[in-house]
Amino acid sequence: MSQAFFLILFIFLLVESRLPQDIYLDYSVALNAEQDIDLDYPVKFFFQLDPLIWITSFISGHQWTTGFGWALGIIILTFFFGRIFCGFICPLGTLHHMASYIRPALKKQRMISANQKHASQKFKYFLLILFLMAALLGLNLTGLLDPIAFLFRSLALAVFPGIGTGIKELLDLTAQSDIKILNYISYGGEVLVSPVFGYGYKAFTSAWFIGILFLFILFLNRIRPRFWCRTLCPLGALLGLFARFSILRLEKNPEKCTNCNLCVLSCQGAASPVPGQEWDASECMFCFNCFNSCPEKAVVFKLGWPPHVSKKPDMGRRAVLGGLLAGLSFPLLGRLDGRLHHVSDARLIRPPGSLPEKDFLKLCQRCGLCMKACPTNVINPTLTEAGMAGFWTPNLIMTQGYCEYTCTLCGGVCPTGAIRKLSGKEKIETPIRIGSAYVDRGRCLPWSGNGPCIVCEEHCPTSPKAIRLIQGTSLSPAGKKVNVKLPYVDLKSCVGCGICEYKCPVKGKPAIRVIAAGESRSVANQILLEL
Amino acid sequence: MNCHPITRRESIKKLFKITGSLALTGVMTCPFQKTISAWAGSTNKKFIVEGIGQNPEYSVKALVEKVFEAAGGIQKFVSRQDVVVIKPNISWARHPDLAATTHPEVLKAVVELCQEAGAKKVRIADHTIHDARRCFAITGAGMVAKKTGADLVYPRSSLMRNMKLQGHRLDVWPVFLPLVEADKIINLPVAKVHSLSGLTLGMKNWIGAVGGRRSALHQDIHLTIVDLAQFFNPTVTLIDATRIMVANGPSGGSRSDVAVSNRLILSDDPVAADAKAAGLFNLRPQDIGFIRLGEKWGLGTTEFQKLRQTQVII
Repeated sequence: MSQAFFLILFIFLLVESRLPQDIYLDYSVALNAEQDIDLDYPVKFFFQLDPLIWITSFISGHQWTTGFGWALGIIILTFFFGRIFCGFICPLGTLHHMASYIRPALKKQRMISANQKHASQKFKYFLLILFLMAALLGLNLTGLLDPIAFLFRSLALAVFPGIGTGIKELLDLTAQSDIKILNYISYGGEVLVSPVFGYGYKAFTSAWFIGILFLFILFLNRIRPRFWCRTLCPLGALLGLFARFSILRLEKNPEKCTNCNLCVLSCQGAASPVPGQEWDASECMFCFNCFNSCPEKAVVFKLGWPPHVSKKPDMGRRAVLGGLLAGLSFPLLGRLDGRLHHVSDARLIRPPGSLPEKDFLKLCQRCGLCMKACPTNVINPTLTEAGMAGFWTPNLIMTQGYCEYTCTLCGGVCPTGAIRKLSGKEKIETPIRIGSAYVDRGRCLPWSGNGPCIVCEEHCPTSPKAIRLIQGTSLSPAGKKVNVKLPYVDLKSCVGCGICEYKCPVKGKPAIRVIAAGESRSVANQILLEL
Repeated sequence: MNCHPITRRESIKKLFKITGSLALTGVMTCPFQKTISAWAGSTNKKFIVEGIGQNPEYSVKALVEKVFEAAGGIQKFVSRQDVVVIKPNISWARHPDLAATTHPEVLKAVVELCQEAGAKKVRIADHTIHDARRCFAITGAGMVAKKTGADLVYPRSSLMRNMKLQGHRLDVWPVFLPLVEADKIINLPVAKVHSLSGLTLGMKNWIGAVGGRRSALHQDIHLTIVDLAQFFNPTVTLIDATRIMVANGPSGGSRSDVAVSNRLILSDDPVAADAKAAGLFNLRPQDIGFIRLGEKWGLGTTEFQKLRQTQVII
């Protein structure tokens, strides 16, 4: 019940991570330039609930994320009731639960042996220590495998857009029909579908990889139930550390036990519930399946006071040392590509309000919330643009969208503050630059003598415009002199929003493009002596 | 790619496509022709009304009403049970006082007039440049739709349909469907400067009524504007010049780009309406390419004396 509730809440908040549907805002919003459009729901909630995100953000970025009280609450809850988060709240856990136990792939004896404790379960501690250590050294990789960030990214960037694309293609097909009824169905369908799956065709580079990984992780449940939760989940490992102090404990009565192994058959965490083995408090997800399935009441959950400490989490020295070593290596290796200390990729354009790259990597969870919320679909997960250290961090691809001049949604939704929350006024008046545009004269229509075009200048949102037109002549391909208006970029006014690149009639590789040079967040990346 | 001979199946498909789209455009244009002939019966002379709000406290709604009254009343243009579509210019997610978009009060007044005239349905449709949801919210068009109960059509890609424009420059182009599937069309542009076409007025507003590779239209902007104006041929054009953008057009972005003009221009002659509005910018109609071409191709006239001219001042 609670699992279903939290999963539905998660998906609901995920769907709501977009511009509010109520376009009928008050006149005050329309007439009062100070007011910004904001989201209707606290879409960050699950990220605030996640103690791992809170702790890693704190030790790497030294920032108290807003709403971390929720995460603190989860830790306190764990002290009392163990990994109850895993069994009752975690939406990814719920999906794994469903994938594992709805028509399970393993039957009886095979399931019992799959539910025996396995040495691979130490691996999650390795990952946890790796992430904590890396965070300490200024590289926050947690979001790659944090369950909340993982699930949000997978659903928001791969699953929902994938389904949405399928439905939209179908609706577009019916919209083209000459049968009126089909047209109505198509429009109606789009009205219903668009708010959930996104307007238009959503596109995210490297979403294919995110999607395949998600499917693969779900598939692993068929080999070993809740594979992710037992073996990979770093949040589970963290909560496992606290779970040994849990007051709620499994008490075993070996004399009542008939060794029917029904408890093992239904055990989700492979936590050795059967009497005769020592119960692993750190592996137990407190699903209470063993208690419910035992016909003899040989295993019962009891509140034990005063608290006595259960068995130590079985992490193993190798996992600890390996984790420390890997956690040490990743941040250092990640900096070897020179992007942090020398020069960043010209096409790595961070959302407006992003912190300087070094601080950004300390806080960004790669969760995809900004990418989901962006109304123009410009924010994409990187593959290589930000190097290994910045894998799946947000990057603006101006051929897919553009940064809307007055929009500040991405900063508003960022759960860790890697993207600062800006007001529309601050964004425009500072101004916050995310890069700067330059004209590729060989491709530009007026510059190459192929005809008049002022599209970039027309769309330029700044006042005064950063793209100026100067009357001039260029040589047409026929060799004649033609009078045209030639676009020039004024770097003092350009904020790098990229609408010029997006709207340029030269597609694929537009004739005006934005590069990261000039972005406000980096001192080293400035072009002009003074601004 | 097309080196193989055309198969029988393909040729039949093509034939169907061609006849299909022709039939569709035939159906679409049918109501306009009717309305045109209906006017010709009642009054031969076209009109132009200029409304000026001189009283600093004038109400925009009252000015809109007066302007329509001077033109013979809204009933002259909108009949009972009509489906009316209004094409404002809400292309930019800009606040109304920046003059990049049609003022919501003008839009609201026009919607209410249409409803009072007994229109079955009033739609507001524009293919915006910025994200439509943000445009709807920030320009105030969303609020107008909510207060008046008019439909605000989201410009989804499936509503763009290839149609035969039969223009001088544009032949087949994707058109925003709600703007042709209506009995009456009211063009409700805002007056502002534009770097290529000189001004953005009524005829240029139709660039926001099509889909496809819109940015390529700028390569022959004046002729494409005239082609579109001819295709859409609105029942009436009301130019919102309550405040006009005099610099940094068409998107503006600063209050210093805006001048207060307190004017509305209403005409059933799209060329005359634009020509009149050009005067607000101290430009001669002949200076603006699409006005000149529009007159040349017979869409209207810039000689105001040929029209019934009226001025209302409140």
